[in-house]
Amino acid sequence: MENALVSVPHNWYLLLSSLLFCIGVMGVLFRRNVIVILMCIELMLNSVNLLLVSFSAYAQNADGQVFVFFVMVVAAAEVAVGLALIVSIYRNVASTDIDSMKKLKW
Amino acid sequence: MNTIIYTSVLGFICMVAEILNLRKVIIPVAVIGLAAILGLTVMEWGTTATHFNDMVRTDNFSVAFGSLAIIITGLVIALSSDYYKNEQNHISDYMAIIVFTLVGGLVLLSYSNMAMLFLGIEILSISLYVMAGSRKYNTSSNEAGLKYFLMGSFASGFLLFGIALIYGVTGSFHLEAINTYLASATAVSPLFYLGVLMLLVAILFKVSAAPFHFWSPDVYEGSPALITALMATLVKVVMFGAFYRLFSTAFGNLGGYTNWLIALVAALTMVVGNLTALQQVNVKRLLAFSGIAHAGYLLLGILSITTDATSALFYYSAAYALATIAAFAVAIPVFQSAGSELVSAFNGLGKRKPFMAAMLTMALISLAGIPPFAGFLAKYYIFSEAMANGFFALLLIAIVSSIIGVYYYFKLILAMYTQPTDESVDVKFPTVYVVVAVLCVLLSLALGLYPNPVIQLF
Amino acid sequence: MYSVIAMIVCFFSIAGHYVLLNAQFLAIVHIIVYAGAIMVLFLFVVMLLNLNQEPDKSHGKLLRVAAAISGGMLFLVLLLSLNTSETGTFVLPEKSDIGMVQHVGKKLFNEYVLPFEISSVLLLSAIIGSVVLAKKEA
Repeated sequence: MENALVSVPHNWYLLLSSLLFCIGVMGVLFRRNVIVILMCIELMLNSVNLLLVSFSAYAQNADGQVFVFFVMVVAAAEVAVGLALIVSIYRNVASTDIDSMKKLKW
Repeated sequence: MNTIIYTSVLGFICMVAEILNLRKVIIPVAVIGLAAILGLTVMEWGTTATHFNDMVRTDNFSVAFGSLAIIITGLVIALSSDYYKNEQNHISDYMAIIVFTLVGGLVLLSYSNMAMLFLGIEILSISLYVMAGSRKYNTSSNEAGLKYFLMGSFASGFLLFGIALIYGVTGSFHLEAINTYLASATAVSPLFYLGVLMLLVAILFKVSAAPFHFWSPDVYEGSPALITALMATLVKVVMFGAFYRLFSTAFGNLGGYTNWLIALVAALTMVVGNLTALQQVNVKRLLAFSGIAHAGYLLLGILSITTDATSALFYYSAAYALATIAAFAVAIPVFQSAGSELVSAFNGLGKRKPFMAAMLTMALISLAGIPPFAGFLAKYYIFSEAMANGFFALLLIAIVSSIIGVYYYFKLILAMYTQPTDESVDVKFPTVYVVVAVLCVLLSLALGLYPNPVIQLF
Repeated sequence: MYSVIAMIVCFFSIAGHYVLLNAQFLAIVHIIVYAGAIMVLFLFVVMLLNLNQEPDKSHGKLLRVAAAISGGMLFLVLLLSLNTSETGTFVLPEKSDIGMVQHVGKKLFNEYVLPFEISSVLLLSAIIGSVVLAKKEA
């Protein structure tokens, strides 16, 4: 398995995670459903995890992998709070469309 | 470090007090506990220590800003005894979350590793997402919570990507290791600069600097007024502390690479904040834009890192936080009795309640930067730091925009003293609000008259 | 609904990459946390709110163009800085154990013990928060 990886330039992993990150960003900007937006944010965090792991493998340094654990903890906490917010909003407006949330603006 | 542990324990006590059926004592215990923690923190002054493999560091910076953060939280918790008097069944949850917010803030003021920076920001933000949306059956509060949550976690994504890139280039999360790398590296990879930029985007978002400020008026308006007070003061002070720490420790050898960008953002923030505040009719929104404008002035302090602007930054944060809390302490009872958050709710307050109207007037005068209050000297110190660093054009913008700023603060003052009063509404000021407002105004006045003890701290 | 399933597939492929990159323990944790917990939470909410029937609409044209431009610019910036930076290929030792549980665990509980403990405050806060928000009042 290690031999297979040696033929892959490290840049490709950077490229992959940048691509995933941008897909996440575009998804947040494009979509209107709150749940889908939340999933896109998860995708952004995952691309960061991939980046960290690839850097950690490249430098043979486990710090990056430990950091990924903290990212996972935060991602899980964020999702729990976010979904709780969505549920509490759904009770009031019966919709998960962010365009139903435009009471506050100037 | 000890401060963080004690505060976490206090939050835990607030949380379990409900199980022991001790709801009535939660707020007194929290306030007394915070006062004790404040005492213990102040006693750490002058010591420099690293803890847990240099994850956090206790130094004068963390003690000073940490004490300010504890005072702010203590005042807000004191106000909450009346604010949440009809929501006794949630009081322990709310108090625990507010104290945990403080824990996040304290982590942000003493971190020396990117992991702690990230966790601190997340503890602070996740607690506030919840508090912003805590009025479950109010669609404005729902909307505020959701907006804050979505934009906040979007910004966290950028923060993380920035940290990951910096780690990739330097091979470490440790602030000083990053700085050492910068000093020794012959050619720094462009990825590092990209990482710094993304980190900067996320932090500027959290301090609500233009053009990343769009969330803040909406969130401030929709959140419960007390939480708005907490967000306007604690988050801003703490994030600027973290910002300063990051740029003075990790990127100290960056050689002002980001200066032009921060200067641009500062100019934009001051202009946008002050000009948009002019047309606001909602008081919470007005204070939100005033907070944005003040973030612009505080960015001047970040720009002046090379001449050690710590004391100017600390003085400014303290002046801004005290005046804002005093303003909210008067405004919250007015909001509640008038059932409206518009400027017109303050009509004739000067005749009905001359004392509290005077308190609000003094708080606003301090925010506007008129002597003899702390706001004036704060602006003076931070402007002279910027002058010493040669940001003359920026200084001109800052002075002009702060003169514009005076106008909208006076809009509220004029409404209190010149508009006809609405006799049907009777405003009652519970004792805690009076005490907190008087305390903040007095502290602000004292800071304005005797600035030397604070300005010579560092 | 399909997007949630697709997301799970994406997470499994990321886990595959972790294995390739010698992060074996992390790959397992990733599957357990993301596919096992987070996406199940998503699926539950999607089913609880019964969101199947409403199709996900996009924003208006202007917003979509703006989103595409800003997203594309971001990618361009990332791409350019990747292009100009010189990073080589992986040099992996014959037998690398940095991703094994012994190594990661030692790092986590020695050097990173404080962030580990502090994240308990984060979790506590998130637990209280989600209960406060999601509980129905009597």
